[in-house]
Amino acid sequence: MSAIQVTGLSKAYGFYRIFEEVTFAIHPGTCFALFGPNGAGKTTLLRILATLQTPSGGQFTIYGQDGVAERDAVRSILLFIAHGTHLYEELSATENLQFALALRGQSLEPAQLKRALDQTGIGAYGNLKIRQFSAGMKKRLALAKAILAQPKLLLLDEPYNALDDGGVAITNQLIQDTMKRGGTVVMTTHDRNKAAKIATEGAILQNGHMQLLSPEQLQTHVLS
Amino acid sequence: MSFLNTIYWVVWKDLISEWRTRETISSMLFFALIVILVFSFSFAMDQDAARQLIAGIIWVAFTFTGIIGIGKSFTSELQNDCIEFLQMSPVPKGAIYLGKVTANFLFMFAVEILLFPLFVIFFNLEVVDSVGMLLLVFFLATLGLAAVGTLFSALTVQIRAREVMLPVLLLPLAVPVIIAAVEATRGILNGDPYNFYSQWLHLLLIFDIIFTVVSFWLFEFILDS
Repeated sequence: MSAIQVTGLSKAYGFYRIFEEVTFAIHPGTCFALFGPNGAGKTTLLRILATLQTPSGGQFTIYGQDGVAERDAVRSILLFIAHGTHLYEELSATENLQFALALRGQSLEPAQLKRALDQTGIGAYGNLKIRQFSAGMKKRLALAKAILAQPKLLLLDEPYNALDDGGVAITNQLIQDTMKRGGTVVMTTHDRNKAAKIATEGAILQNGHMQLLSPEQLQTHVLS
Repeated sequence: MSFLNTIYWVVWKDLISEWRTRETISSMLFFALIVILVFSFSFAMDQDAARQLIAGIIWVAFTFTGIIGIGKSFTSELQNDCIEFLQMSPVPKGAIYLGKVTANFLFMFAVEILLFPLFVIFFNLEVVDSVGMLLLVFFLATLGLAAVGTLFSALTVQIRAREVMLPVLLLPLAVPVIIAAVEATRGILNGDPYNFYSQWLHLLLIFDIIFTVVSFWLFEFILDS
C-alpha cells in the first residue's frame, strides 16, 4: 500500500488553475522532495495533503484513507510543519509542546519534553516564551514537536528556511528517523543541495503539471 | 484523548495567554469603565431616569465589553497560523468550541463581577438582597452571548473587516438574550416578585441551550471552511 496515492488532483482559485491532473504515489519509508519555482503550487499541494485545503478535483489517500472523506482519521497520522510554525507566542516552549501534544492525544512526561528540546538544541530555553524566540529557534521547536509526535506522515514546507547548519542537521536526522520507523516525509524546498542529501524520491511542479524524477534524475536535477 | 481533556487544554491555553498579556481583560475593563462614567455623568441630575434605565445601561456595557473579548478570542489564533493547528488537530472540533466558549465566558463573567460594584456605587443601587439572583442572570446571559459570540468570532476571523462584521452579525442574533437579560435585571432591581420576571430567566436558559447546541454543531464546518 502506498503511503500517499494522489490521482488526478487539481486546484484552482476561480479561473486561475494552480495545477491540474497531478498523479503520483509515495511509498512508506521514503522522503519525497517537491521542487518548483515560486507560485508553482508546492505549498498548496502540501496544504491539501495536510487537509487544510480541499482540492478542486481528483482525490488522494493517506495510508489508505481518503484525504477528504476521512479527514479526521488522516489528521491523526500526520504532522505539518509550515511557515507559520503553529506556536503560541505567550506560552513557553515547554507549554507549547504540552499543548500541541495534548491536542494530538499524547500526554508526555516533563523529562520527555526536555529530551526533545535538548535534541533540537533549545533545551536551555524551555521556559522562555515564544515571543522571545528567533525564527530559527521557533523552527527548532516545531522540529521538537515532530520528534515527540512521531507521525506516520511528516509534511515539511521549506524545512531548511531560517535554520543554521545545526538546525539543518537536526531536520535531516528527524527525516531519517521518520523513514527508519517506516514513516513518510514530504517536503517542499528550493534548497536542492540540502534536499539531495536526504530525499529518496522527488518531483518538479511547474506550470501546473508535475514531473516525477527517477533517483538518477533527482540527483541530476539537484546537481544542475 | 477525551473530550473533556481537549476542553481543559484549550481553556488552559487561553487563560495562561491572557494572564500573561492581560490584553483582553484590560481592554474590556477600560471600555466598560468609559461606558459607566459616560452614563453616570449623563444621568447625574436625574436619578429617577437612571433607575428606569439602569438595567439597559448595564447590559449595553456588558454586551459591548463582551464583544471586545469575544473578538480577540480567535484573532489571537491568527498569529503563527495557530488556527491551522486547531483545524488539523485530531480532536472533536466541538471540544475546541466548548473550550473557547468556557474561556470567553470566564473573561466576560470576571469583567462583569469587577464592574457591577461600580454600577452599584455610581447609580446608588440597592442590591444586598438580590445579588444571588442578579449573578444568575449575569451567568445565563453571559453564557448565551459567549456561546453565539464564539461561533461568530470563528466565522469572521478570516475576514479583513472582522472588527465590524462581528458585532454586525452577532448583535441581531443576541438580541433575544439581551432583551431577556435587561428585563430580568430590571425586575430584580425593582424588587419585583420572582414570578414577575421568571419567564425571562427561562427564556435565557432556552436560548443558552439552543445557541450552544447549534453553535457546537456548526463550529466544525466553520473551522474547516
